[in-house]
Amino acid sequence: MSNGTFTFKDRCVSVLCCRFCDQVLSIRGMRAQLLAGTDQEMFSTDIPPTKAVDFVGSCYFLEACKCKLKNIACLKCGNEVGYHVVAPCQHCLLSCNNGHFWMFQSKSVCGTARSDASGTNMLLWRDLPDTDEEHEELFIGREEDQEQYLR
Amino acid sequence: MAAEIRGLPYAVFKWSSFSSSYLPENILVDKPNDQSSRWSSENNNPPQYLILKLERPAILQSITFGKYEKTHVCNLKKFKVFGGMNEENMTELLSSGLKNDYNKETFTLKHKIDEQMFPCRFIKIVPLLSWGPSFNFSIWYVEINGIDEPDVVQPCLHWYSKYREQEAIRLCLKHFRQHNYTEAFESLQKKTKIALEHPMLTELHDKLVLKGDFDSCEALIEKAVNDGLFSQYISQQEYKPQWNQIIPKITKGDGEDSRPGMRGGHQMVIDVQSEMVYLFGGWDGTQDLADFWAYSVGENQWICISRDTEKENGPSARSCHKMCIDTQRRQIYTLGRYLDSSVRNSKSLKSDFYCYDIDTNTWTLLSEDTSADGGPKLVFDHQMCMDSEKHMIYTFGGRILTCNGSVDDSRANEPQFSGLFAFDCHSQTWKLLREDSCNAGPEDIQSRIGHCMLFHSKNRCLYVFGGQRSKTYLNDFFSYDVDRDHVEIISDGTKKDSGMVPMTGFTQRATIDPELNEIHVLSGLSKDKEKREENVRNSFWIYDIVRNSWSCVYKNDQASKENTNKNAQEEEPCPRFAHQLVYDELHKVHYLFGGNPGKSCSPKMRLDDFWSLKLCRPSKEYLLRHCKYLIRKHRFEERAQTEPLSALKYLQNDLFVTVDHSDPEETKEFQLLPSALFKSNKDFTPLGFSDVDHTYFQRTQLFDVLVNFFPDSMTPPKGNLVDLITL
Repeated sequence: MSNGTFTFKDRCVSVLCCRFCDQVLSIRGMRAQLLAGTDQEMFSTDIPPTKAVDFVGSCYFLEACKCKLKNIACLKCGNEVGYHVVAPCQHCLLSCNNGHFWMFQSKSVCGTARSDASGTNMLLWRDLPDTDEEHEELFIGREEDQEQYLR
Repeated sequence: MAAEIRGLPYAVFKWSSFSSSYLPENILVDKPNDQSSRWSSENNNPPQYLILKLERPAILQSITFGKYEKTHVCNLKKFKVFGGMNEENMTELLSSGLKNDYNKETFTLKHKIDEQMFPCRFIKIVPLLSWGPSFNFSIWYVEINGIDEPDVVQPCLHWYSKYREQEAIRLCLKHFRQHNYTEAFESLQKKTKIALEHPMLTELHDKLVLKGDFDSCEALIEKAVNDGLFSQYISQQEYKPQWNQIIPKITKGDGEDSRPGMRGGHQMVIDVQSEMVYLFGGWDGTQDLADFWAYSVGENQWICISRDTEKENGPSARSCHKMCIDTQRRQIYTLGRYLDSSVRNSKSLKSDFYCYDIDTNTWTLLSEDTSADGGPKLVFDHQMCMDSEKHMIYTFGGRILTCNGSVDDSRANEPQFSGLFAFDCHSQTWKLLREDSCNAGPEDIQSRIGHCMLFHSKNRCLYVFGGQRSKTYLNDFFSYDVDRDHVEIISDGTKKDSGMVPMTGFTQRATIDPELNEIHVLSGLSKDKEKREENVRNSFWIYDIVRNSWSCVYKNDQASKENTNKNAQEEEPCPRFAHQLVYDELHKVHYLFGGNPGKSCSPKMRLDDFWSLKLCRPSKEYLLRHCKYLIRKHRFEERAQTEPLSALKYLQNDLFVTVDHSDPEETKEFQLLPSALFKSNKDFTPLGFSDVDHTYFQRTQLFDVLVNFFPDSMTPPKGNLVDLITL
């Protein structure tokens, strides 16, 4: 796990938006490869995005591992955007993992890399505090909102 | 002339809100494979709505909702549809909900008043609840079907405007008469020939308000009661509980042994055909019991079937078990029990399962351990229901008893709860229908103890509510369709409508009446466990399955009175828990036996009292007496103004006989009446411009009260013209 931590810290932080309604789902997104080994590109986050998503349906298990999962949907449009690992299985806990239990599918979510305070470099996970950030930070990285004030 | 029903063209006229690209007009097109082809509200704060405007007035027939190709949390679980000729004045046409699936659903819309079709131009759709409670409301597609051919609609428009005109005139007539504008009243009635009310009520008004002929009024009311005119009123009244303590017959010499002793945690079932109540086991304060009794309602006598069922190859002494009866085959089943932690071991923790055959008086051990047969583990405080028609038993919840000794994994100390199982009595096989699930999804259910479960033999659903799970009290309410294996949430228990629903705890007892579509709940210990003694109180609730509404029949708010004299006949059972309540739906009688009065000073005390409960509505006789009382009370008050002496005599004689002096409230009201002798009505403010005096005003008020007992079709309109005036 220790050598894996470095690779996670070097990754970019992404803003995750719902592809259906553009709702910001998380500003602490990480591009991730699934442990279960599916080819599907995913994003993950560590802090529960409870203000942007809620659970839908019942718990289920994937064939590949014994993690207990529950789907999550965007609170604005109700479309399913990913899942939450309710209870990780032994196998996944022992494997190299980033400790994120909130997963988003790239077909439902688009990720935009955040820039750091200087505005020139990508914001990396190593520079991110472990706790939730202030709300005002939420929009800084979004070009779209800045554009409103450009002209 | 066969009018054609077709899809009616409409436009979306107004909306409460919408979010991003989910525009209201999206509901005009049906694209089930496009997730964005829908209206979605911006939030789910009420009121959210869409108002549709039809191209031209039409007689509505139905509304069809299209959906997305997959299930979607924004689908409307509950909604209402209103309609009218203008957007301010709409009538409710439908109150329903959509299934969370991909199938189109069509609902018939109300389109008749008194068998007469009425036209609509505006339709308002009001979402009330989405399938995911925290999500916004979405409507994918709406189709309105109806008739808009002018040949059909035109006469309805005429009728509609005439109907409104007629009701407006009736309101005027009522107003004129109330305010004694006699000439205006007469000329309006003469001109329009519209009847304000049934001639019988006009006669009542004439006798009461105009002539003050009170004897004739009483005669008129008496005739109305005898003609059954008050039966609609009676059917709308709430039930009043009538408790009766049953003192069973004692055969000489039997003494105390001729009826079951004090206990709690026992079980009772009733065979409604033979009117026999069966009682088995329980806890007498110090030990488990194994005696088995039958009470015959007809004979008013207990018969001891067995002093110890274990000696007759039946179950051992036990409490907190469950019992159910198959009235068709006359068999009684019992499952589960509570064991003290000191006696729990791998041998005692087996869940035995017995069946008693009433006709042959024999016990059969169906299973030594149901969990070995794929059924529940040893549980207590579960629920069990019989489906006689399909010969099935359903059992749900209860806490699984575990051995304290063998702690091999950390979860052993956490309480475990049993899921929903079905037992096929014919093949003697168990099936697990639902596991205990904490993360309640749409089809998941949360196991529990101390809950209620009832089987509705007509709509074939199990109804489950209340109970407790570790330290959490559960307030949800759901049904389970046994044939379709489907869970329907009736209330998730998070609503703030407290006070309108019973405070369910873990000691309530419930029964079901499939014919009346009612669930009855007698609550015991309240939610607040802190000061146990003060909180043991009774309340009785009725849930109307069709209307989805609760009503409280009564609450016993005073703490249980200390009853020093044990022989004194009490009026109702003292509040308790661990009691048993069964219901005879054929004769509409509840039977209650024993329980724990919850006295902290005598923790071993248990009860052995036996009660019947009937839910009564006011009788014709009561209403007649009550009306006579109202008329005579008014007559007394009128007379008190002019002839106090004669009024006093009237009070002492004629009025006195109409009071039920055994009713403390009526008695108290009666005792306050003489004060009218010393009151003057000089402070009466005359009404507006009319020459209505105090007497006329009072008589009119009495008339309005009396009219309420008559069916709506006979009475003047309920509303008042002046109430239309706003400041």
